[in-house]
Amino acid sequence: MTSPIGTVAIVGGGTAGWLAACVLAARRPELSISLVESPDIPTIGVGEGTWPTMRETLATIGIAESEFLRVCDASFKQGSRFDGWVTGAADDSYLHPFTLPPTGEIGPKLAAWQAGAASLGFAEAMTPQAVACSRNLAPRQRAMPDYAGALNYGYHLDAGKLAALLTRHATERLGVTRIAATVVSVGAAVNGDIANLLLDDGRTLAADLFLDCSGHAGLLIAGHCKAEWVDRSDVSFNDRALAVQIPVAPDSPIASQTIGTAHQAGWLWDIALPTRRGIGCVYSSNFLSDEAALQILTDHVAGAVPGAGNVDLSPRKLSFKTGHRARFWHGNCVAIGLSAGFIEPLEASAIVMIELSLRALTDNFPASRAAMDIHARRFNALFRYRWDRIVEFLKLHYVLSRRQEPYWLAQRDPATIPAQLAENLLLWRDQPPSAWDFPQIDEVFAAASQQYVLYGMGYGVPLAGSTSAVDPAAIAQLAEVRERSRVLASALPANRTYFDALAA
Amino acid sequence: MSNHEILNFAEHAELRIQTEAGADYGDGVMASLAVPAEFQRLACEYPILFRFDAERGAFSALALFGFEQGENLFIEAGRWDAACKPLAVAVQPFLVGRPQSGEGATQVHVDMGHPRIAQGGEGVRVFDETGQPTPFLEEIAEMIGALDEGYRASGEFFAALSRYDLVEPFSMDVTLASGAQHRMVGYHLINEEKLAGLEPGVLAELHEAGHLRPIYMAIASLGNLGKLVRRKNRRGDG
Repeated sequence: MTSPIGTVAIVGGGTAGWLAACVLAARRPELSISLVESPDIPTIGVGEGTWPTMRETLATIGIAESEFLRVCDASFKQGSRFDGWVTGAADDSYLHPFTLPPTGEIGPKLAAWQAGAASLGFAEAMTPQAVACSRNLAPRQRAMPDYAGALNYGYHLDAGKLAALLTRHATERLGVTRIAATVVSVGAAVNGDIANLLLDDGRTLAADLFLDCSGHAGLLIAGHCKAEWVDRSDVSFNDRALAVQIPVAPDSPIASQTIGTAHQAGWLWDIALPTRRGIGCVYSSNFLSDEAALQILTDHVAGAVPGAGNVDLSPRKLSFKTGHRARFWHGNCVAIGLSAGFIEPLEASAIVMIELSLRALTDNFPASRAAMDIHARRFNALFRYRWDRIVEFLKLHYVLSRRQEPYWLAQRDPATIPAQLAENLLLWRDQPPSAWDFPQIDEVFAAASQQYVLYGMGYGVPLAGSTSAVDPAAIAQLAEVRERSRVLASALPANRTYFDALAA
Repeated sequence: MSNHEILNFAEHAELRIQTEAGADYGDGVMASLAVPAEFQRLACEYPILFRFDAERGAFSALALFGFEQGENLFIEAGRWDAACKPLAVAVQPFLVGRPQSGEGATQVHVDMGHPRIAQGGEGVRVFDETGQPTPFLEEIAEMIGALDEGYRASGEFFAALSRYDLVEPFSMDVTLASGAQHRMVGYHLINEEKLAGLEPGVLAELHEAGHLRPIYMAIASLGNLGKLVRRKNRRGDG
């Protein structure tokens, strides 16, 4: 029980598995790491939006930004734009940018915004990123050091190419052993832990710690550890997606943010890479037929992609269950990625949850089996908390809508709104979202994210003591945002220009 | 090849300027013109020396960046390692322009042959899409104005220095850690002895005309000569 943890076996070679291999190998170089990847099981590969955290992750594992951008056909993501979520009208659009509002309490800035610049959207008033997004500008200049930007940013990327890059990086530069085989069965230890994996090539793979990155299957966490599935489809209705990828003209503009466009029973994603657009229709099978969803997707593509016309899309059809495990770490097995849980990609939470899991694991890596149960208990509490907050934050996007279709009315049925979200919404009538509502370190969606959605969707601004004059310091901060917007609009290159120059 | 044009939106709507530092962008120079009005700002970074231009029959001031032709010791890995730059460098590729008549308001000219003229869509815009100057151009225009005013005022400054014989020739042998030697010749600086011997009335006159401060700033700036030698030694290519 006290022998040190020296070997790690990772099951599954998608984004989760290879990210896990790279991060563990880079941060815990003393470990001996193997990754079992089945040649027969294709990866899902639709997680194509990251958070700004990915910059630190890539820097940590030692991949140069320019290499990553080129190899993964990546582009910059500066946030998400939500079209049609409030009323569905043509001018119904708001931005959830990655750059935070100016520092300090949000209250005085809300008052200054309402008093002086209410014609601007909340994001436009609070950050120069809105201007960069509206003009398809990059968040950085090429001469800046790797992973530095004038504005906060993550990436849009080709998930298949990312997995391939991470595979090469892990095996060629970080000493991870790749085993091309399928897991046939799991060998149990006396205490119920996983002792080893029997592979279809007849080999047995033993390890001290096992990471289940096997995707929805949950080969270890469900198959062996019997961790229950917590269904969240009572809150989050969507269970289907149709996904297409459409090549774009070499000189077409590249959008700076993911665009999520609401439709009658769900929403569409639009992710722009230098060579293609990834567009998908997410919907609830209780409210929309597959045929109707395909029609919505076809119409959207025709309108959104110049020249796409009436091409036969033949989309990939995905069905998914929304929920997560009751426990993510059981014995000597940790579930990371889709094996831990899944929810619609509305705020691109999939990859960031992988990164957060790996940060928690590597910052608190168990020295021995004896310490594992303590770490497991903490890890489970932390990630249960995070899943709850994600479910609530995504629900917030629906609850604030005023759309009248049956799907949207059902989304606003109080019976489907988690108690903590309902409570927060009551409090937010009197006070803006703050760190009091989201007190953890590394909150997945901190107060600023809540503010961008809340005020982007037109939730009433609490103006406690509104008889007092607006704080001149807050007015100055918003003026500074406007000036900075002018500066960045003149200094940042268009995304297309940036990637053309990078490829040259 | 320089190619000067009067900056205007009609012709320069899409103009973008490279703002990084580097020899590729024309920064590989050992000195730049400095005007007395900026001596105070420059004195914490650069040695300020004078040179006599025989053709014009007048002195001018230089901020020193290196010891050899083309050597700028402040350029390090794409950045200019100093808190400030002389206006004449900072405004590039723009310059102070005059209408052809020679009279009238200062214009902003741009050297379209300058390596700072960006190609391919990167670099900082000069005009926004409505034709308004960007904050970058606003700043350039301010510096052009200050440079023009500073240059116009410099004639009186050097006339006063000559009047009271306050300038003396200066040469210096710079010995580097490597043993290599550079001889700096043809420069002038303030004669501190003469300055110390000035009558109170003359000092008051220099003070009132605003010349006393730049005189002392130029003296103080000479401490940067030693720092510049250390930069050169650090570079190790002495």
